[in-house]
Amino acid sequence: MTSTSTRDLVSQPYKYGFVTDIETDKIAKGLSEEVVRLISSKKNEPEFLLNFRLKAYRHWLKLREPNWAELGYNEINYQDIVYYAAPKQQDKKKSLDEVDPKLLETFEKLGIPLSEQKRLSNVAVDAVFDSVSIATTYKEKLAEHGVVFCSFSEAVVEHPELIEKYLGSVVPSNDNYFAALNSAVFSDGSFVFIPKGVECPMELSTYFRINSGDTGQFERTLIVAEEGASVSYLEGCTAPMFDTNQLHAAVVELVVLDDASIKYSTVQNWYAGDENGIGGIYNFVTKRGQCRGVRSRISWTQVETGSAITWKYPSCVLQGADSVGEFYSVALTNNRQQADTGTKMVHIGPRTRSTIVSKGISAGQSSNSYRGLVQVGPNAKGARNYSQCDSMLIGDQAAANTYPYIRSQQPQSAIEHEASTCRMSEDQLFYLQSRGIGFEEAVSMMVSGFCRDVFNQLPMEFAAEADKLLALKLEGSVG
Amino acid sequence: MIRPDAELLLEINDLHASVEDKPILNGVTLHLKAGEIHAVMGRNGSGKSTLSKVLAGHPAYRVTSGSVRYLGRDLLELEPEERSRLGIFLGFQYPIEIPGVSNLEFLRVSTNARRQNKGQGELDTFDFDDHVRERLQVVQMDPAFLERSVNEGFSGGEKKRNEILQMALLDPVVAILDETDSGLDIDALRIVAGGVNQLASPDNCTLLITHYQRLLDEIIPDYVHVMAAGRILRTGGSELALELEKTGYDWVDQQLAAEGVG
Amino acid sequence: MAMTEAWLTQLPDPTGALEPVQRRGRLALTEQGFPSRRQESWRLTDLKRLEALFQLSLANDSSHVSIPDSWPTVPEQALRLVVNNTNDPLAGFDLPEGISILEGVELEQALGHTLSRCQCASEWPVELNHGVNQQILALRIRGKVPPIELVTFATDAMFMPTRVLLLVEEKAELEVLQVVIAKGHAAHSHLLEIHLGQESKVQHGLLALGEGKESLLANMAIEQEVRSHYSMVAVSHGWSFGRLEPNVVQVGGQASSSIHGLSVTAADQQFAVHSTMRFEGPEGTLDQVQKTVAADRSHSIFNGAIQVPRQAQRTNASQLSRSLLLSGRARVDAKPELQIVADDVRCTHGATVSQLQEDQLFYLRSRGITESSAASLLLRGYCKEVLDLLPLDAASRWLDGALPEGETNP
Repeated sequence: MTSTSTRDLVSQPYKYGFVTDIETDKIAKGLSEEVVRLISSKKNEPEFLLNFRLKAYRHWLKLREPNWAELGYNEINYQDIVYYAAPKQQDKKKSLDEVDPKLLETFEKLGIPLSEQKRLSNVAVDAVFDSVSIATTYKEKLAEHGVVFCSFSEAVVEHPELIEKYLGSVVPSNDNYFAALNSAVFSDGSFVFIPKGVECPMELSTYFRINSGDTGQFERTLIVAEEGASVSYLEGCTAPMFDTNQLHAAVVELVVLDDASIKYSTVQNWYAGDENGIGGIYNFVTKRGQCRGVRSRISWTQVETGSAITWKYPSCVLQGADSVGEFYSVALTNNRQQADTGTKMVHIGPRTRSTIVSKGISAGQSSNSYRGLVQVGPNAKGARNYSQCDSMLIGDQAAANTYPYIRSQQPQSAIEHEASTCRMSEDQLFYLQSRGIGFEEAVSMMVSGFCRDVFNQLPMEFAAEADKLLALKLEGSVG
Repeated sequence: MIRPDAELLLEINDLHASVEDKPILNGVTLHLKAGEIHAVMGRNGSGKSTLSKVLAGHPAYRVTSGSVRYLGRDLLELEPEERSRLGIFLGFQYPIEIPGVSNLEFLRVSTNARRQNKGQGELDTFDFDDHVRERLQVVQMDPAFLERSVNEGFSGGEKKRNEILQMALLDPVVAILDETDSGLDIDALRIVAGGVNQLASPDNCTLLITHYQRLLDEIIPDYVHVMAAGRILRTGGSELALELEKTGYDWVDQQLAAEGVG
Repeated sequence: MAMTEAWLTQLPDPTGALEPVQRRGRLALTEQGFPSRRQESWRLTDLKRLEALFQLSLANDSSHVSIPDSWPTVPEQALRLVVNNTNDPLAGFDLPEGISILEGVELEQALGHTLSRCQCASEWPVELNHGVNQQILALRIRGKVPPIELVTFATDAMFMPTRVLLLVEEKAELEVLQVVIAKGHAAHSHLLEIHLGQESKVQHGLLALGEGKESLLANMAIEQEVRSHYSMVAVSHGWSFGRLEPNVVQVGGQASSSIHGLSVTAADQQFAVHSTMRFEGPEGTLDQVQKTVAADRSHSIFNGAIQVPRQAQRTNASQLSRSLLLSGRARVDAKPELQIVADDVRCTHGATVSQLQEDQLFYLRSRGITESSAASLLLRGYCKEVLDLLPLDAASRWLDGALPEGETNP
């Protein structure tokens, strides 16, 4: 329990660190207009999409990589990345039985069985391997309800009108450096469309797997909930262990119309690098949802435990009157990880409400920052926000920063922010120990107690998972 | 209950301990046998609470010399959780609040840790639920407290009941109760004392640390020890507590002065 | 860049005791160039108003500043010094026991030391003051001394640079009130350094009063040694453009700091408070409350950084920012920044933005008070909590107990 033993890190091996040996169709490293065109042509895209990509690429060339988050990482050489890699197989298979068994095996090993006998009974899964989606379960069953759940590439072919209408409508292609890059080179992702009045009959989930060592993953997720529709969606992520860094720059757009709601949960466990900070994923993600309709609702829940660098601010633009935005986050960093994460709640419409609950846990020599913006515009009469950001430090080498930014132009609004930073109290630990609970277990009980408000927001099946994941990540970092 | 042939459970010999290099215990010797109830009395700062914390293994206290043997083994070598699993129980003067950690889960995990040690096997959630509800009666506690976070928002009396509930679940061999009566009204005191009496058996022993006589009206000790300046100054039967109630602690100062201490 | 250089070339040549400082300051201004909104700390600033400072005429020894006779009398025993760039504030004074002038080598050693310890020596407003300021009031404080009132006054579209350095020795006790007044579109650039020796105690007040069209740049660097106590109360009102930057560093820990602020803006004024509190040793405490009131189309900004590095174990810091928006066109930006590496610390911060409490208003109205009187009553109460903390009875002497009404009325 002394500070020397606190520093005595014994890293838990990353259990998803294996590589699948599979033949891949990769294009050459590097980024140029040619590469953008090549990706588009490989996917047989309509012209509007190629134009979208080119516009984004040309804009990206003019932008500079942002540095305001003060993250320290090796310079990214954008010419040293492969922008398209797909397991070699002819077209997307109509049936799962035709998918390369190696791929099925990979996902099974990750705890995501896809085959009909073994798949989860109440969760539909889209499995993305490097740049492409390899399978989506329960598509037909969902279609009976009018729900579209498929890979982005399929959506481009089957529902081009929806893609053209909504793509880039929340996160414009010139939004920021990484969003522009994604817009130029994104290869696949998931598309969800819940039509008017439909409550999606099952949980939807996308599982992202990076396999190649030199490939960047640039996926794009678009979820549209029409009037009165609702859906709960979960994404999970893992990657093999490499001693190089891989870039992951995703864009997620959510559109919610009148009285509709989207609940978006993330359990992020990309490879975080080793205890000396070698390797790991650079996770630069733009996630934003737009509550366009009245009484619409977006709820982001994230459990961020992986990646060498995390840069992500899932946000809500609260346009519709009485719309609601929520952000629940647990970010855990250990060893040399750096996380800069938070949210933006932009109150535009009257009586819009938002809630932010952020729990940061920093161990080892890691750095964990909450960065948030609550903005209340002149028309958001009666808007309310409540934010709570708590940090817990484990050991005296970890850093916790809090940057809660508040901007208001509306006197008839109320913004409240509370934050605290504390360490795990020795008295609390002793109390638990004096009741026979071992030190590590006591720590993990306290951490999950600290995070309870957030875990309660996760879909049932994943709350326990998240709890275990956190315990695993912390193992050996204290004691 | 004093029996000459009873087993010696806890043997404290010439124990010295300090906090931040400040000596607090200066040679405590105390032997606890099965079936016995001991009371340690003394003023604030006499070292009573330190004794309880040292026995439970609080990391802030350092033992500088002396020994504590528990059932034949060196207690001081053990981690706090090991002591608990082996049957040492400390009822805290100020039970700690732990937001977010469910009381029920906390009780289950600690009970199972102790049960495993006794070779009784773990109780699953359902069996534990039955078990804990039965034990709740010892302290007449509302089951609603199980659903809350550990001690969070509990009143003083509720916290103390929660301590005795833990004692009832952990079934200790040596129960050390640090100022269990502080902050209790008379009804709550009776309930808590009733719980302690109910749990006392010929196979275990109890060490009551207290300031006042009133707890000892409810739990009759076999021995009363008066502590001052970090050691036991006088030992007697339950009548000693009554005497203290009447005469106060002034004689302690005189005796210490006579010995050139304090 | 060109604008800065053009302005610098028309300044009089550096002279006096601060000549080397002036040279370095001007060089730094040339190198830094004019602040840009790309810099985080200037992102929200109306730079046009900062540029406008270059249009003013620099106060120097040939300027004439007539002291109004309307100033309130100084409390008995207190010492009033008028600080400006035009004449020696100490002329004609016998300093009381315990207060002495810091000169020569001592001054050289002390000058700028606290600015560097607070890591703000090369901030643009500081370099601006360096570049033009010719005079400094530098005092050494020993033991318990009579309270000091420092008045700085500018008028007639004048740009008034002033600089004060207070070296408070071990165990000394000082109460100091600064009153900064401006009229007629004038501007102040003020630089203050206070060094608190071990176990010393300083109660520091700043009452900054403009008339609605004036500008204020004030940088305050405070260095605290162990077991010292520092308390600052800063009230500002009536500045068309203002930027107040308190920087406090506890170099050895175990000290206590308290910072209370109130800034009131109306019309199209913009006022910013950028505070930094840094703990460099263990067991320090901070109690910070920043209040703002923004009326009309005004814009109030608060940036509050708290830094707790590894060596600052057992720090206990709390920061609260409370903003009142009185109009639908007013704007408030609040940005607390907590940077914590030590694990055994307690740091809390809170921020609220709201209007006057409806239930309070209703309560008063139900007792027969009109809505507008009720509102101004509540507002007075909100401000009074800070005003009453000012040392030397400043609120009642300088303000008759409350800030001028009218423009602050909701």
